[in-house]
Amino acid sequence: MTWLNLHPLTFLVFAPTVLGFLLMALPHALGKLARLLGFLGALAIFVLSLAWLLGHAPAAGGTVMAERTPWFTLVGLPVDYALAVDGLNLWLVLLTTFLVPLTMLGTWNSLKDRLGTFAALFLLLETGMLGALVAQDLFVFYLFWEAMLIPMYFMIGVWGGDERRYAANKFFLYTLSGSLLWLVALLYLANKAGGFNPAVMAQAASALPFGVQGWLFIAFAVAFAIKVPLFPLHTWLPDAHVQAPTAGSVILAGVLLKLGGYGFIRFAIPMFPQAAMHYAKPIALLSVIAIVYGALVAMVQRDIKKLVAYSSVSHMGFVMLGLASMTVIGTQGAMLQMLNHGISTGALFLLVGMLYDRAHTRMIADFGGVAVKMPIFTTFFMIVTLSSIGLPLTNGFVGEFWILNGTFLSGFQWGRLYACLATSGVVLGAVYMLWMFMRVFWGPENKDEDSGTHHLHSDLNAREIAVMLPVVVLIVWMGVHPKTFVAASETPVTALLQEVKAPAPRTFILTPAVHEASEAHEAVGAAGAHAPEAPTAHEVHQ
Amino acid sequence: MSLTPSQWAALLPLLIPAFGACLVILMSIDKDQATTKWIRGAMYGTALLAVGASFWYLTDLWRTGSQPAFFQLHMDRLAQFTGIFVAVAAALTILQSWDHFHQEGWVKGETLALLLFAVVGMVLFASTTHFVVLFLGLELFSIPLYALVGTVRARSESAEGGMKYFLTGAVASSCFLMGGVLTYGLSGTFDLAAAASILTVQGLTFDPLVLVGAALMLLGFLFKVSAVPFHQWTPDAYEASPHPIAGFMSVATKGVAFIALLRVFPGSFGSLGPVGAKMQAVLAVLAVATLVLGNLTALVQSNVKRMLAYSSISHAGYLMLGFVAGTPAAYTGVLFYLVIYLAMNMGAFGLLTAFGLVGEQTTFEDLRGLGWKRPAMGFSAAVFMLSLAGIPPLGGFYGKYMIFRELVGTGHVGLAILGVIASLVSAYYYLRFLVALFLQAPSAEAERLASDRPAVRAPLAGAAVLVSAAIVLAGGFIQYALADGFAKRAITEGLGLLR
Repeated sequence: MTWLNLHPLTFLVFAPTVLGFLLMALPHALGKLARLLGFLGALAIFVLSLAWLLGHAPAAGGTVMAERTPWFTLVGLPVDYALAVDGLNLWLVLLTTFLVPLTMLGTWNSLKDRLGTFAALFLLLETGMLGALVAQDLFVFYLFWEAMLIPMYFMIGVWGGDERRYAANKFFLYTLSGSLLWLVALLYLANKAGGFNPAVMAQAASALPFGVQGWLFIAFAVAFAIKVPLFPLHTWLPDAHVQAPTAGSVILAGVLLKLGGYGFIRFAIPMFPQAAMHYAKPIALLSVIAIVYGALVAMVQRDIKKLVAYSSVSHMGFVMLGLASMTVIGTQGAMLQMLNHGISTGALFLLVGMLYDRAHTRMIADFGGVAVKMPIFTTFFMIVTLSSIGLPLTNGFVGEFWILNGTFLSGFQWGRLYACLATSGVVLGAVYMLWMFMRVFWGPENKDEDSGTHHLHSDLNAREIAVMLPVVVLIVWMGVHPKTFVAASETPVTALLQEVKAPAPRTFILTPAVHEASEAHEAVGAAGAHAPEAPTAHEVHQ
Repeated sequence: MSLTPSQWAALLPLLIPAFGACLVILMSIDKDQATTKWIRGAMYGTALLAVGASFWYLTDLWRTGSQPAFFQLHMDRLAQFTGIFVAVAAALTILQSWDHFHQEGWVKGETLALLLFAVVGMVLFASTTHFVVLFLGLELFSIPLYALVGTVRARSESAEGGMKYFLTGAVASSCFLMGGVLTYGLSGTFDLAAAASILTVQGLTFDPLVLVGAALMLLGFLFKVSAVPFHQWTPDAYEASPHPIAGFMSVATKGVAFIALLRVFPGSFGSLGPVGAKMQAVLAVLAVATLVLGNLTALVQSNVKRMLAYSSISHAGYLMLGFVAGTPAAYTGVLFYLVIYLAMNMGAFGLLTAFGLVGEQTTFEDLRGLGWKRPAMGFSAAVFMLSLAGIPPLGGFYGKYMIFRELVGTGHVGLAILGVIASLVSAYYYLRFLVALFLQAPSAEAERLASDRPAVRAPLAGAAVLVSAAIVLAGGFIQYALADGFAKRAITEGLGLLR
């Protein structure tokens, strides 16, 4: 067990892959067994991650677990095998390990063929996501970031809807286009820094002229913004979401999009603080456009799944707005909103999937009066809808409130206007979600022979209720006591923003040295060297 | 005259396959060779044994670190690298040929003998800087390949492809010869390394004739690597060739031509400042043209072999970018890239045999749904195509990584951006292969045909494909061993760069 004690993160990241390859080797006839084994494996990973990551008291600076060892030196440049879980990624890692078994259980009967391969790809995808989340070396991060595309490509392309080939290719090539240009920036900086350690690269970047820094930041930002997706780079998302099988949509919305936001806060902003401050305003503007535009487009959708897909554009716009506000409260709001969106939108896709499995249609017009036939389902859908809208006491409210608060206090020239416009996005969110809810669930029962409602014969079964219950618990928990989920990121986020706004010379506080740096900067903060006086997330909550 | 043991040691990598080739020819005298199973087995066994022995011998030389020479033939680390490279390619080709020629109903021992002679020529070509020996090697591997392309005489397009390849190849060879003769005329020596220093001493580095000589030699190399605008023969020749031969040409010809180019340009002419710089500029322009044309043309192909041909053209472009960067690390990247390229391209062509596609049956349509029927082959196909597209964590990514990194490091950011855009475009047509294999159900017509035919059995081609997939995966996970332990030592100790 000593190996496991030394390499817990390696185990968490690669255990799914090992299991995945074993499942892939199972004969076709054993698909159902493979599905079961895959689920049990993913569940075990979740339990382990919960026990390990929440069981360890975080070290000074918030690092929960870390591994760092030289991996290889490829003709000159060293690559470190560096993984760490700290305040910034702790909950995103747990969200990932939570959503994978949940989705497997929630879509148990959705697929009919090649179950083993699907479970295997799902597990490979989990490795990619976890690896990208915990990687602390940019080369390693890049490897996982790109490797994630492969299983997702096949999940959409093989098990997707009618337009699956188009959607899968679009998803793959769109994402690849951003990350390839980013690779050039990465190589440029790695050559300057002599390696891929983000702290060293940040130092090298700060020595470059501001114009070059700006281009490098743009290269990073575009790769991440495609993943988020930020308007106007979002066009791959509706296709991929709608065509993907339910499980694919859940993971795409639940985790993959988060990696974009996470990339900003982990790499793009701390590595190029000046450029990030410089480009914060345009990013905030694009976020506001995404919020309003996503909501407006969602409103006119006739397909529930497509509506949820566009709502993702709107919600992820909030995340980007919070990050661009460059305030502690806004960034903390963005961190929470990423978790919120993972839970709520993931749950929405699961629910839409459950409806589709029964009715074989997702058109709003095909339904009506579903509440009569499926009361339990309707209850769950209502709760998740309210959370997605951001009703107080649900998770959606806290995140959006903090983000709007942060934007309002950001001190941007148009910051207050942006906050007001973004607030209209909350209202529009209520409009499109409730309008859809009304048309699908309320009203007289649609008795038409061809209608979706007509084909609904059973309410949720025990398995589906078991899937939804933890989601509801989380929705309420995050809404009532968000501190559980943002306490870990408070220190690193505060330190990061002080760093970003501090005048040169900089000390580069990228993990795992967050702690020392944050102490160093408290002195600066006390002297009043940094501006806007935003209350911390903690204070607002109380 | 008697040879010293060291001279024998330098000659053995040439003698072993040549001896094997003679044996195979003797065996193939029998008229019923196609039907007599044991003769067939003996021929293939002999050929495999010959390349296996030369592989074993060269790895042994590599381990001991000795670099023997026979006059102008230097069996140094770079030549040993080439010999190992070519031996692996030839072994995979022989394995695939067994199944492919059986499927085509066209079994001739001569093909194996020609293949082995080509191996001899290739090793010779990459182990010298003496122009006459270089030319000898070039012709010794080119002529058997002309014949191999047109080997299936029953098919008219096979003869057509062979003839096209021969005519254009002959012109390129004469240009190459002319270049060497000009250099000889000016310097008075056929040894290119010596010629370079003589020209420098005589102050002839700016002489236009030197430039013309160098350019004509470069043309010869670029023809063999199928760089634009000397690429037109490639799709026709690949389409005409039997699948394994097309794979062998795409890999081995390109590989040795690049390695010989390494010896001649950065190796010998590197000291010829202005000429070297001009050649690098020419390579940069042609690399761009190759990447753009190769990738864009590959997009619209419906025939898998033609797609792979244009893909092989575009890979020449990436490799040329390594020469544009021109650092030892970039050359290491070029060699590493070649190793991975060997595995992925031999694998991709091997798949056609493993799936039992014969004759004209090589469109994307014919591949539909096959990935699910043959999961191991399907998995390998995914490995090859994603690696060709340069997706991590597979070997192809690291090849591009090393070349692009050096390109960015030497200030060619624009070329690197063009290179990644080219990779993006290429991802589309490599995905088409996977789309056909996995995302499309077989057409009704194909299902009907398949039920009429006995199931495809191609165990040896399948094994060759799996070996190739293993190499590509190894390139992704123990890349440092291949790059630093193998490719870098060939550059530093063989070529004498960074010594």
